[in-house]
Amino acid sequence: MLLTSVIIVLREVLEAALIISVLLALSRIAGIRLTWIRWALGTGTLAAIIYAGSTAVVSDWFDGVGQEVINALLQVAIYVCLVILAMYFSVDHRAEEGKYLRLRLLMVIGVSLAIMREGSEVFIYLSGSISDLSQFTSVLTGGLVGAGIGISAGVLAYYLLLNLRRDILPYLSTVLLAFVAAGMAGQAALLLIQADWLPSQQALWDSSQWLPEDSVPGQLLYALIGYEASPTPVQATAYFGGLLLLLVLVAFHRYTQKSRASD
Amino acid sequence: MKSIRAFLVMVLLATMTLVVFIAALRGYRASMVEVEALLDGQLVEMAQLLDSLHPDEFSRTEAYEGEEFAFQVWVSGKLLKKSASAPRTLMAPLTAGFRDGNFNSYRWRVLAKQGHTSEQWILVAQRADLRIRLAEEVTLEAVLPIIASLPIAGVLIWLVVGRGLQPLRRLARQLGDKRSDDLSPLPVSGSPAELRQVINSTNSLLNRLALAFDREKRFAADAAHELRTPISVLKINMHNLSRDLPGDNPNLDKLKDGIERVGHLVEQILALYRSTPEQFMANFDHLDLHALAQEAIGRHYDEFSSRDQQIELVGHSCQMVGDHFALETLLQNLLSNASKYTPRGGQIRVSVRSDNTGATLLVEDSGPGIARKEYQRVFERFYRTGGDRHGSGVRGCGLGLAIVRHITDLHNARIELGRSSFTSGLSVTISFPVSTVNRVGCQA
Repeated sequence: MLLTSVIIVLREVLEAALIISVLLALSRIAGIRLTWIRWALGTGTLAAIIYAGSTAVVSDWFDGVGQEVINALLQVAIYVCLVILAMYFSVDHRAEEGKYLRLRLLMVIGVSLAIMREGSEVFIYLSGSISDLSQFTSVLTGGLVGAGIGISAGVLAYYLLLNLRRDILPYLSTVLLAFVAAGMAGQAALLLIQADWLPSQQALWDSSQWLPEDSVPGQLLYALIGYEASPTPVQATAYFGGLLLLLVLVAFHRYTQKSRASD
Repeated sequence: MKSIRAFLVMVLLATMTLVVFIAALRGYRASMVEVEALLDGQLVEMAQLLDSLHPDEFSRTEAYEGEEFAFQVWVSGKLLKKSASAPRTLMAPLTAGFRDGNFNSYRWRVLAKQGHTSEQWILVAQRADLRIRLAEEVTLEAVLPIIASLPIAGVLIWLVVGRGLQPLRRLARQLGDKRSDDLSPLPVSGSPAELRQVINSTNSLLNRLALAFDREKRFAADAAHELRTPISVLKINMHNLSRDLPGDNPNLDKLKDGIERVGHLVEQILALYRSTPEQFMANFDHLDLHALAQEAIGRHYDEFSSRDQQIELVGHSCQMVGDHFALETLLQNLLSNASKYTPRGGQIRVSVRSDNTGATLLVEDSGPGIARKEYQRVFERFYRTGGDRHGSGVRGCGLGLAIVRHITDLHNARIELGRSSFTSGLSVTISFPVSTVNRVGCQA
């Protein structure tokens, strides 16, 4: 039970912690006040509790696959937020302070949605497992260990990014955001497969022998690059399509900004 | 990085949490394997015990009725004995070894062992959920203290990092507490090796700064002093020349005016130099601020009278401790400024009053006053509102209020500019702290 708790909580916390770390580091470098994180954490946690409490109602939507569909929509919304943020941060905007309010709002929305999505999973799991008193200690300990590893990895990632050379950070952050966003697109596809909205197919490959998803490195890669041990062609298409779309949009945005600057 | 302490505590704690939790997970997995092996050993022993019993003894013993374990004894394909929790069918295929099986709505860990005769098979089983729970309980006992120790480690890290950064905080405090004119070196002894270079470099910088300031002050004072004699000679020559030349000569008037201005500038530079804290030889004594103001007004009376200005002194005797010469210079500068900037026929009021917060000297005029945004800048040396081309056309060198600021600082007094109580004009309020008046006191 302890290991299951660790894996489930770690999977959700690590993903949210990584998004928060990257956005916090980028905000610091761009000189944006970090107060937005309080709003994001507050609204995200509240939304996660409400969403987790409404599971029974949501599940009945769309002929019983409401939760999968809503989760997939959340993943797509997070993907869109991350794409816009990656585009914005790929260019030096330090002079345009007027845009900071809109940017902070976008970060609050993106992070709140991520916390809502990941947090609700943790709430559902913990509230379900803790009801069995005999497993209370192991579930809670597992959750604590998972959250501890996830948050610690997030803190270290934040300081690591802050200590990078200033000219490298935007590139690395764009790459990180691109992989995390692509992971979101891949997960959205998986959820829609589970809801039977997308066709279920044979897995393209199975790497669970070398790197099982339910191991700590597997979870780290899941959060970092959206690692799936046995993805289907639909999932792979969503993942690589999402990655390519983000990179193309970022490159296009950089190009237009540079052209505007040179004019 | 906003705070070194926050950075160190966060990074150390995160690293420790990550390492300790991953180690705890590995420990948990290893312990689970060990406990599983122990429980498997228990099943082996149980099977051996059952095997050691003679078939006849089974009929005499009562069947085990607990729910945690189950056993079956098969002889030549027939069930000889079973526990209450065991099914009547085979719990597992009759092949020696461990395997998992499902019966009685639970998952079981089953051991099949061939008995001492080839026809006899012993099957012993333990409920898998109870095994895992037991193994987890045992393992958690070992893991929990590690996890529980993290908050304590966090507090210790916080304290240790705080202690380690103390010399840096002390150095920052020493630098922060330094007065703007304190260029004395920082103490090097007792400082850690990492900060010694910083302190040495800072001290060297302070020393160079002190020497530079000193050179600057000496140069201005020496130059002013050296200029005094030739200016006096110039004045005499000017006087002789004006006697020799006929009638009104505008060029001569301009020359006379120029010499007066240079003479005034030199005197003001010397006054400024003498009123700096480093040069000022304080001679604090009991004095009456009201009487001092009265004397100063008397000395400037001709100036006020020539411009038809009304001068008024309000207040009563106010005894305080101060430097007679410095306060005289202060009053002289304030009155001179008031007279210069008040138009012909204007009003000037000097008030001396006191209360339980100290003594206050207030000089007000009915001149044009100063814009609020200029209130700070007028205390700068050589600064004149409107620049060199001062709108009033009044002669001045921009040192008067700088000298006044020096003298108020020497008396720990506070100076404030504002609008006068006349329809227009400037008010200069100098508040002397209670420490300078309470020894003698003021007559209200």
